Amino acid sequence: PGWCPRVVPARGRKSRHAPPAKSKAERVKMPPPVDPEELLVVLERYRQHRLELSALLAEFRAEVLQKKREERLSGEDSAELLAEHRRLMAWNDEENARQRARREERLRKEAEEEKRRKVEVAEKQARKMEAFLKEKEKEVLQLQEEAKSFITPETLDARIEECLDNPCNYNFAIDKDGRVVKRTVLS
Amino acid sequence: MPMKGRFPVRRTLRYLSQGDIVFKNAVKVMTVNYNSAGELSEGARKFVFFNIPQIQYKNPWVQIMLFRNMTPSPFLRFYLDNGEQVLVDVEDKTNKEITEHIKKILGKSKETLEKEERERKKLSHPATFGPKKYHLRECMCEIEGQVPCPAFVPLPKEMRGKYKAAMKNEA
Repeated sequence: PGWCPRVVPARGRKSRHAPPAKSKAERVKMPPPVDPEELLVVLERYRQHRLELSALLAEFRAEVLQKKREERLSGEDSAELLAEHRRLMAWNDEENARQRARREERLRKEAEEEKRRKVEVAEKQARKMEAFLKEKEKEVLQLQEEAKSFITPETLDARIEECLDNPCNYNFAIDKDGRVVKRTVLS
Repeated sequence: MPMKGRFPVRRTLRYLSQGDIVFKNAVKVMTVNYNSAGELSEGARKFVFFNIPQIQYKNPWVQIMLFRNMTPSPFLRFYLDNGEQVLVDVEDKTNKEITEHIKKILGKSKETLEKEERERKKLSHPATFGPKKYHLRECMCEIEGQVPCPAFVPLPKEMRGKYKAAMKNEA
């Protein structure tokens, strides 16, 4: 406890391992003298002061808290704020509706575009098919025409006779300038 | 030290404090659904990239969640503390339009912000001095018009204790 005389005082300049000075070997430290009546009076006064002070502080604290709570509650329940909030939500809903309208418009346009493109593609395909078929038709007809002049076993003899009667001369002469002469004689 | 990220300016305090959306106390959660591809989601993407850091800086107690490629069209959803959900369609909008929209429906108005600022200022008196945590200045010597700190400007002789003591001893 604090009143018993200490043998080792609290160290200031010296380290904890240095021994106390020889002149202080018999020193006994005693606590300061206390007048009991004065002590009682002083303690009583301090007690009262602290009591009053803490009471006042508690009062003030409670008051501040009350004010804050009131402020908060009244701020939330205000009808005005609710009305404002509802108005803003309504505006937001309108905005969403407008956005939806725009989106639907866009989707509709895209669908139309898509359909138109499909129709175009189909048309082009049809036209291509038609052209192809026509080409094939023409070829078939041409072949038919040519078929009339084919050499068959029946016409074979006649055609041979014909060829032998009309010799065809495929020879020709050409000079360095590129002039073609077809008057060569068939031997 | 190199800068981090594609637009490191987003990480500067100056940029963050320039965000002007402060949500009302009722807003608790903000959810953003957007897509990583597509022309219509472009505004939402820019919003997420540029504006959400500013919003989170100004509203540290609002939870913000991002969902990618979950729905065909982008939208924002706010969850208020009375259970209400506010849906905001942001398809085909630029990020500026989105911020304006949000500020209008769920942001604190300028008057409210100013009022709150004034309330905050009322709590502390700017003329007092003390620990840096609670006051602007720590010592009387820092206040303009007062005697400057003797550490920088020596006091005149007449104010110094040793001179005064010397005078008293002489007399």
